[in-house]
Amino acid sequence: MSLEITNIVVETLPRFEGYVYPNESGTHPLWGLLIVLYPYITGLVAGAFIMASLVRVFRVKPLEPIYRLSLLTALAFLLCATLPLLFHLGHPERSFQIMITPHLTSPMAIFGFVYAWYLMAVLLLELWFDYRQDFVEWSQTEAGIPGIIYRAFTLGVNDTSEKAVGLDLKMGWIISIVGIPSAFLLHGYVGFIFGSIKANPWWGNVLMPIIFILSAMVSGIALCVFNYMVLTWVRRRQVDMRCLDVMGMFLFYALVIDATVEALDWLHRGYSAVEGFHVMEYMARERLFYTLSIGQLLVGTLIPLLLLGALQLLRRRVPEIVRKRIYFACAAFILIGVLAMRWNVVMGGQFFSKSLRGVMSYKLQFAGAEGWLVSLILLALPFIILTVMIKLFLSERLPTEGHVPHRVGDGAGKI
Amino acid sequence: MVRPKMPPQIFRLVLLTLAIVVTYIIARYLLTPASFRQYGFYRGEALVEHMSHTPVFAGRKACLECHEDIQTKLSKAEHKTIGCETCHGVGKEHADNPDVKLVKIGDNGCLRCHEASPTRPSWLKQINPKNHYREDKCVGCHVPHQPNEVP
Amino acid sequence: MLATIGGAIAGLASLAAARTAKAAVKKVFVATSAPKDYDASKHKWLMCFDVDKCIGCGLCVDACKTENHVPQGPTYFRTWIERYIIKKPKPGSDATRGEVLVDSPNGGRDGFPPTTVPREEILKSFFVPKLCNLCERSPCTQVCPVGATFDAPDGAVLVDPNYCIGCGFCIQACPYGCRFLNPDTRTAEKCTLCYHRITRGLKPACVEICPTEARIFGDLKNPVANDPIQAFISKNKVHTLKPHLGTDPRTLYANLDKEVR
Repeated sequence: MSLEITNIVVETLPRFEGYVYPNESGTHPLWGLLIVLYPYITGLVAGAFIMASLVRVFRVKPLEPIYRLSLLTALAFLLCATLPLLFHLGHPERSFQIMITPHLTSPMAIFGFVYAWYLMAVLLLELWFDYRQDFVEWSQTEAGIPGIIYRAFTLGVNDTSEKAVGLDLKMGWIISIVGIPSAFLLHGYVGFIFGSIKANPWWGNVLMPIIFILSAMVSGIALCVFNYMVLTWVRRRQVDMRCLDVMGMFLFYALVIDATVEALDWLHRGYSAVEGFHVMEYMARERLFYTLSIGQLLVGTLIPLLLLGALQLLRRRVPEIVRKRIYFACAAFILIGVLAMRWNVVMGGQFFSKSLRGVMSYKLQFAGAEGWLVSLILLALPFIILTVMIKLFLSERLPTEGHVPHRVGDGAGKI
Repeated sequence: MVRPKMPPQIFRLVLLTLAIVVTYIIARYLLTPASFRQYGFYRGEALVEHMSHTPVFAGRKACLECHEDIQTKLSKAEHKTIGCETCHGVGKEHADNPDVKLVKIGDNGCLRCHEASPTRPSWLKQINPKNHYREDKCVGCHVPHQPNEVP
Repeated sequence: MLATIGGAIAGLASLAAARTAKAAVKKVFVATSAPKDYDASKHKWLMCFDVDKCIGCGLCVDACKTENHVPQGPTYFRTWIERYIIKKPKPGSDATRGEVLVDSPNGGRDGFPPTTVPREEILKSFFVPKLCNLCERSPCTQVCPVGATFDAPDGAVLVDPNYCIGCGFCIQACPYGCRFLNPDTRTAEKCTLCYHRITRGLKPACVEICPTEARIFGDLKNPVANDPIQAFISKNKVHTLKPHLGTDPRTLYANLDKEVR
């Protein structure tokens, strides 16, 4: 029964106010920056897909120029969605066990299958039906590695008859319809991973999956705006202002709904003030001040609401160049704001003790698996993948049939 | 009667889907641990692995095999609820080889339980070490195995 | 600047090394043969606490760490003791109690240093031992994605360290804070009721060491003569922790104050 003083001092210096359970008193949170990134990336996927389905299912014609870009964005981000999880696991080499012995009462296990379904049966399939004819054509005209890629993606089917095209359009439509609830399921399940934890009053409530879905829509639309504007700027083209205006409109209304439901969550918590409320309120004020008041509320919600709302009212009176700047700024603000929201949810839930008597402060490292550097790389990776995809599949010099329900005409704005 | 042909793209997709599903089923069969689902949704081997760790503390019954006389003394007074290893430390080495001596609890050991604290229940006899015969060791006046006796 | 880049590269390299190397489960346990003829379905173990008997010596926390080779640091505990100091209400106030101070220095492993609160200001004070609550509807086993943590047929809630992927979901889901991530094995860990001892007819280390019988341990399916668990259940008004969460904890507390979470 000897004291190991040296070990205690060297290993960790607990940092907390009030009382926290001894197992909670470490210097680093259990779920760190990587787990903040994971719902962020999956949310972007769901939102970008909804943009595309607005075109296919709801036939919002002005959005046609960004149809393929949204789908490719969704795919690029979906491919990277599980990377933060792999980096975070204590035993990533055992991660396959989630698919081999999935515990069906666990949201995390079900998510593995929802992810696989969404990737294969929705996203890849819809992309394939949309691109199939282009693959057939490009596989014949392009040489080198891209040519091999296109040939592989045709899956050996070279039929481009009217009947086949008709079938492609029909299948794409069906998959889009299936895809909308699938997108909700995808990000709803991520929200449910937090919402299912009744032990943590910050996470475990019924609004959590809904708030996650709504903020995912907002962030995905903002990402599409962002990507579209960056892409046209890189290519030195003109944006299709009609498309951008409609995107801005959807962004505004999505943000209104999202802000309303999040405000409802706050109002209800404050009003009912159940046992954990006071420690959570203290924690939010002390530990989340910058990310909550400034990041999520001011920059991520209030400013875009005001700017986009003003544009809804005054659109005709505002010159194009100003509108473009506002849309870009709002998209960037919203992307930052939703990332801040993910931070507030994931880290906020760990900044107070389950004893409801204490508040912790954690350090976040730069290097190492849970550090900033790895997270920055993981955030940059989807953009790099998207760039490669754009070069292969959205290249300007490749002719395309443009398989949306109604063809994109020639003229300004064709991507 | 002409049978409607499956469109080629659907056919290829069905093949691909079947391939993926079959691969998954085979992988699942091969990679699931053998003892999984033996008692429930976990590896049955895990229960055996948990049982297989070597105990560290010997337990009071082991001490009593040789030291029954001390037990008789203990059971007469307040310390009867205390196990041997509580004060004497891990007894496994001594149980395996009686020549290995164990610690007697030492001076501070008594204070571990008996130092006065407003949090300790009132049925426990507590002393403030500053006021209570600082010069002497506890065992100078007290008999740990039979605390109601004077040496 | 160079140092930062160098540090970042070193961080990435160490990350790559750590992730590609197979997990080296530190062989802290010498595996011996399992006890023969142990039938888990014939037992139902239970641990209960009498709060009035706990004197906060912390020997149980130390014994647990010794018995189970728990990592030494102050943030890894399979069991721990909390000290509650409830101050008197301020003079003139009509409240029933004043401020409540709770602490658990190093889990109580080395006992508790004397409190700075003067004795005259203390209304009530007591120690509360904590560990896995052996929930009938355990939220931790519900959320494990791979089936690495489970309810054994005899009542213990165990983690399979050779199957756990270290996601930490169970640690987040436990309302009682009794789980932690072992930094050496990188898997979840918690109180096992000293499974290797109880299956051999021994008592858990903390029960063995407790000098005051504050920890009561027994087998609900095989009560002995003067069974302490049966006596505990029949003679005490008992309480559980966080009953509103619906986890139905089997670990019972006697004489628990309302301030305990």
